Amino acid sequence: MTDPSDRSPAEDASGQGGAAIAARGLTRRFGSHVALRDLDLDVAPGAAFGLLGANGAGKTTFIRLVLGLLLPSSGEVQVDGHSPEHEPEAVRSRLGFVPETSRLYPDLRVRGFLRFAGAARDLAGTALESAVDHALERFGLEDVSDRLVGHLSKGFQQRVSLAQAFLHDPPLVIVDEPTSGLDPLQQAEVRGVLGSLRGRRTLLLCTHDLSEARDLCDQVAVLHRGHLVAHGPAGQVLGGDDPLALFRGMAPEAGTA
Amino acid sequence: MRRTLALVRKEIAVLFGSPLAYVALTLVVVVTALIFFDHLRVYNQILFLYATTTMGGFESDTVPDYINLRDTVFFPVMETLGLTLLGVIPLVTMRVFSEERARGTDDLLLATRLSATQIVAGKFLVTYGFVVLMMAASFVYPAMAVSQGGVGAQHLLSVFVGLLLHALAVASIGLVCSACTQSQLIAAISGFAVAFVLWDFSWASGFVSEGLHAALDALSLHPRYGAFAEGVLTAGNVVYFVALGATAFALTRFSYVWRRVAG
Repeated sequence: MTDPSDRSPAEDASGQGGAAIAARGLTRRFGSHVALRDLDLDVAPGAAFGLLGANGAGKTTFIRLVLGLLLPSSGEVQVDGHSPEHEPEAVRSRLGFVPETSRLYPDLRVRGFLRFAGAARDLAGTALESAVDHALERFGLEDVSDRLVGHLSKGFQQRVSLAQAFLHDPPLVIVDEPTSGLDPLQQAEVRGVLGSLRGRRTLLLCTHDLSEARDLCDQVAVLHRGHLVAHGPAGQVLGGDDPLALFRGMAPEAGTA
Repeated sequence: MRRTLALVRKEIAVLFGSPLAYVALTLVVVVTALIFFDHLRVYNQILFLYATTTMGGFESDTVPDYINLRDTVFFPVMETLGLTLLGVIPLVTMRVFSEERARGTDDLLLATRLSATQIVAGKFLVTYGFVVLMMAASFVYPAMAVSQGGVGAQHLLSVFVGLLLHALAVASIGLVCSACTQSQLIAAISGFAVAFVLWDFSWASGFVSEGLHAALDALSLHPRYGAFAEGVLTAGNVVYFVALGATAFALTRFSYVWRRVAG
């Protein structure tokens, strides 16, 4: 397995200079409710990109569209130039997904779960075993590798979740609410892990924690009721006097709406 | 194929990692034993009755032909077991898809390189395998008892194939119901309800036209299962069960497509 630290953002950009994620006029409706409206967004290769917004802003809908778990009502989204709708295999081979805490199998042992996650991504034999060993070491899971996932603390469960997403060494990793439900120590732990990944691959971080976005992301976009209300460098967008105004749908002067 | 096998291994680990598998296996074996011994008790009482009323002790020629292990014990046990499975198998299938949705792990699965078809195939395979295990465990018992009582090996095989196909049909129905909801309770109840309605439409003969009744009868599980129990192994009945399984697979696969559209 290639050590992720050997990767450069340029190598990650398999789209020859194209965006890692590109959305154009992306709209998703659920009945009469519009969860995402006419979204244009580019995530540059190698960037740590934060997607912010209050609950119901459309963050998870965007992630599900990128993963191909939902189809757009109109517009399109591409991952490294591939459509999740028409080329799901190509998209999924390029990304790792870290769902919210506890979305794991409590009855599986850590090593067994990672073996399954690797095999489901076409790793086999010694490549699979070395990827699992590397992930256990990298995310500090060696001591708990034979324990049931359900018996781990939430912090360790989140490490397991991160480990499965990096097994196949994907150029793009999508992380959904990584510190939701964790205590402050566990939050610091997970942020430390995510911080160590910065700059090594494209990271799409979905959160409503402003300090998390400020610490971990180069670029951020803020969604409010399905609209993009701000987009730009993290320091600029979140650096105003009242960044919470963004969550109310008001674009600050610093941000570019 | 490798991905599907990985999912199969994961499903087996999840299935046997929870008490549900052991509870369901034990339940089926115990229920079969209870039904079997109850029928055996009745059979013995009938024999005793004949033995005492003939005054001269038990003589085989005083017992009517229809009082035998096969007709008095084995077939009624199989009939009751077929009905019992309508309630027990949905307890096994209820969690297969609905638990993934409730936990949110189906997103995790779909974010790997597993396709919806591979996920459905892997889960159907493991569930079918477990149902085969359940049926084998429950069938050994009455089969051994009647193997000396007039039911030949070929006939026993036909009964077992019928029992197996019936159980797999109920499992298929349960799996579709599990794929349609996040609630395991709703999956179990709806699986039982649909299987129960499909079990036998003979009650409808007084309410619907002859043509409709014939159509409903063609959909019923019970006449097909009954035919196998009598030792009649026809291609039509096998095709019926295979078609039911294939329809269930297609509907479950469609539930994944539908969720991408409907959310």
